[in-house]
Amino acid sequence: MSEGTTPVEVDARVEDGSANGGALLELRDLRVDFRTGGRHVRAVDRLSYAISAGRTLALIGESGSGKTVSSRAVMGLLPPTATVSGSIRFEGQELVGLSDRQMRRLRGAGIAMVFQDPSRSLNPTMRVGAQVIEAVRTHSGLDRGAARRRAVELLTLVRLPLPEQRYHEYPHQLSGGMRQRVVVAIALASNPRLLIADEATTALDVTTQAQIMELLRDLQRQFGMALIMISHDLGLAASFADEVVVMYAGRAVEQAPTHTLFAHVRMPYTKALLEAIPRVERPPHARLPVVPGRPPDLAALPPGCPFEPRCPNRQDLCRESDPPLSEGEPGHRWACWFPCGQEGAE
Amino acid sequence: MTGNGSEPLLEARNVVQEFVVRGHGGVKGGVVQAVSDVSLDVRAGETLGIVGETGSGKSTLARSLLQAPRPKSGSVTLRGTELVGLRGRALLEARRSMQMVFQDPFGSLDPKWRVQDIVEEPLIAYGVGSREERRTRVREVLDRVGLDADVFARRRPRQLSGGQAQRVAIARALTLDPALIICDEAVSSLDVLIQAQVLNLFEQLRDELGLSYLFIAHDLALVKQVSDRVAVMYLGKLAEIGPAEALYREPLHPYTVALLASIPSPDPTAPKTEADKAISGDPPSPIDPPSGCRFRTRCPRAQERCAVEEPPLRELRTEHAVACHFPVERSANGR
Amino acid sequence: MGAQLPDAEAQIPAALALAPAAGEPISRRRGWIHSLDVVIPGAILAFLLFLFFVWPLIGPVGKPTGGNILNSNIEPFSQGHLFGTDPVGNDIWSRILYGGRSSIEIALAVQLIGLVIGGSFGAFAGYWGGVLDLVLMRVLDVLIAFPALVLALAIAQSLGPSKFHTILALTFFSVPAFARISRAATLRLRERTFILAARLSGTGSPRILARHVAPNILPQLVTFGLLGMGVIIILEGALSFFGLGIPPPNPSWGNMIFDGQGILSAEPRLVLVPSAFLFVTVLSFNLLGDALRSRWSAV
Repeated sequence: MSEGTTPVEVDARVEDGSANGGALLELRDLRVDFRTGGRHVRAVDRLSYAISAGRTLALIGESGSGKTVSSRAVMGLLPPTATVSGSIRFEGQELVGLSDRQMRRLRGAGIAMVFQDPSRSLNPTMRVGAQVIEAVRTHSGLDRGAARRRAVELLTLVRLPLPEQRYHEYPHQLSGGMRQRVVVAIALASNPRLLIADEATTALDVTTQAQIMELLRDLQRQFGMALIMISHDLGLAASFADEVVVMYAGRAVEQAPTHTLFAHVRMPYTKALLEAIPRVERPPHARLPVVPGRPPDLAALPPGCPFEPRCPNRQDLCRESDPPLSEGEPGHRWACWFPCGQEGAE
Repeated sequence: MTGNGSEPLLEARNVVQEFVVRGHGGVKGGVVQAVSDVSLDVRAGETLGIVGETGSGKSTLARSLLQAPRPKSGSVTLRGTELVGLRGRALLEARRSMQMVFQDPFGSLDPKWRVQDIVEEPLIAYGVGSREERRTRVREVLDRVGLDADVFARRRPRQLSGGQAQRVAIARALTLDPALIICDEAVSSLDVLIQAQVLNLFEQLRDELGLSYLFIAHDLALVKQVSDRVAVMYLGKLAEIGPAEALYREPLHPYTVALLASIPSPDPTAPKTEADKAISGDPPSPIDPPSGCRFRTRCPRAQERCAVEEPPLRELRTEHAVACHFPVERSANGR
Repeated sequence: MGAQLPDAEAQIPAALALAPAAGEPISRRRGWIHSLDVVIPGAILAFLLFLFFVWPLIGPVGKPTGGNILNSNIEPFSQGHLFGTDPVGNDIWSRILYGGRSSIEIALAVQLIGLVIGGSFGAFAGYWGGVLDLVLMRVLDVLIAFPALVLALAIAQSLGPSKFHTILALTFFSVPAFARISRAATLRLRERTFILAARLSGTGSPRILARHVAPNILPQLVTFGLLGMGVIIILEGALSFFGLGIPPPNPSWGNMIFDGQGILSAEPRLVLVPSAFLFVTVLSFNLLGDALRSRWSAV
């Protein structure tokens, strides 16, 4: 059932998002709560960021940090047990509170998403070509012939070797890297303005990862797409992102343009992440500077800073009071009472 | 350091492992050449890292060393005893000094068992000590991995976090006081900070117990950081093997060069992945590997000879061997 | 494969996971009100079991057989006869209870035998494979190819009606069914890393089967068994209906329905009452089995 080419009719539709101050997507105080069986979990707490066309934002965090949940909220893909509050504005239109039907028209058309495991994103019983065509026809009115041509075009665009041949193959006949390219092709079928890549390269080999990231970057330049990359890998962020948001226990704990962040890491958690990354430069058997403990139980968060139990900089204040995310330096926000690199702290 | 020149702890020679792929109806479809003629040593007290991507055969190699299942051909000697060809009790006894820690921390623990039973299992299987003595050993070993026995002994895997579960798996591997532990992507499923904790634990155990490791991973930086020597595998064959530092500073095999170039550096000012060194395409199928050198289809340096003649593993520098007809000379910037 | 992070999708339920902190028992985490899908059928079954097994021993329940023809066709809700009597003079209420007891006894026996024998063979076949598996699968194929009822009828016919023979006949149905489930579950389990880890720890196959495989496939077998209770009860009812199950005058819901079908229009209660009990019992087993299955397969 293909819908017409009409883009989502919105009020106050903006051209290039320029009336929005350039922001294609803007989150303000996004909160996502889950309530089941008497337990209440705040998976995302007061998340705010903005991204403009052509830019790349990296959402970095470990399991349970809320990075995936927040992007699912943007896509409207959360289960019914979730409550979303706050504001998500895409091209000026408010997404929080949209009906499922309205979200569906937006999904894939304005915003597309690429997930971690390509073998789970593709239907194993459908040929590759058919799946791409399905995506193409959902968001455009092309007839079969034109859609087929467009599908092959897309497969070529994502640098899938021998696209004409792969078109007729099933997902299991392709390697992981190739499958992920197909997934990207599907995501691009409708010329989205925003692409969300949720751990899109985590399940891939490192050489393939490099290729896919390069591909995403080239496509971004070509189409002026905004890209949100969700990852646990700060190294990847360093290489590809313009801005980084580090999340912990559902909230943003540090936000800054990439160069600034890596030049002056403030939040001890970010610093810990950086130091824990394996480096080729380290001598063999080097002991890693390690932070003890593990992420907190989101259902039982302490009153103060959630990172406090593990933080090398912690003091009494941290246990009592939750530090707000504040702009300590121009463009650089962090949520810490005793950040790194400032007087007294390590 | 290591390598005191005496008998290696583990010697693998010409190990070959194949799998038959069944087509529809059980018909033989093809043979996966998972491990083709791999030879390596692990010396006492050293950590040998094995790095490779999907289809490289590194995990299959590990299981073949443990005889689970037996390699199709080749020899595996642990502390001088040949393992291939042993069965039953004899194999158990000979294999006792070699244990394994797996990738999925929860997958390797029986969800219905309690931690203390999981850790005790090897002791029961080998008939070690009385019930009391076993219980004591379990407590001892849990303590070594940083888990308080009073808190954790009676828990079940679903009551553990990923890091804790992996520690339990490590504790289980330690109960029989092994000499060698094979870590098959043992930290790949863990979050970054937890991963660092577990890696430190491995190093700590190495110091305290004099353990040797065979550390398998796809992450070259990770492998390099924990290993004394590193072996790079590609499509079932050893591409390069040498001291970790040397491999990193002077990679000899083009594949190693490409691997190193693909690592994203957590330094935004560093040059992005060097396009000229990165490789194109996807790994070929292990059922039908390319003739001659298996890497030639993706190698920027491939020439005619590579399609015809399989390069043997040659020692080009001290302790540093490579299987390539046209190995890389020292690059200008040495990365 | 590259790094596999704990599945991000799993993080949403993981945050809400019931995995309790330090040693807290699971049962306390959810009030019974969240387990209504288990509690309601469970309560009904418990009540029925009480009725069939305990009540006749302690309460005023008449004899199910040996009725006096002078007492025939007494109306329901009469003194001493809750559901009245049948044309032969037997108290229907009593026959319902004793019939129910027989049905459940038989079903339980059949399922237990199926679980133990069928489950074991299936597990052996799944674990060891090879010739054992091949032979077992072919035998199962033959048995499963027969429609259950026809097979049971044929066996009961050749053996003659009796409770024991009914059980025997019905095990020809349950044993292969359990074997198939058990084999499939074992095959799935065999590839799990903890089985390999157990082998590498030195544990022998018998112990692995007993301590690793069995506890992990048991939930599946139990829920299958519960869901099958209804089927067996109905099969037994059918056998008895055809006179090949519980021999009259002993009551079974099946032969009660048979006896009542002739005078369905005159005295519908003779058919309706046993049918109603059959319905409720089978439904409860099914609901309970289903509820447990969705719980246990989520683990």
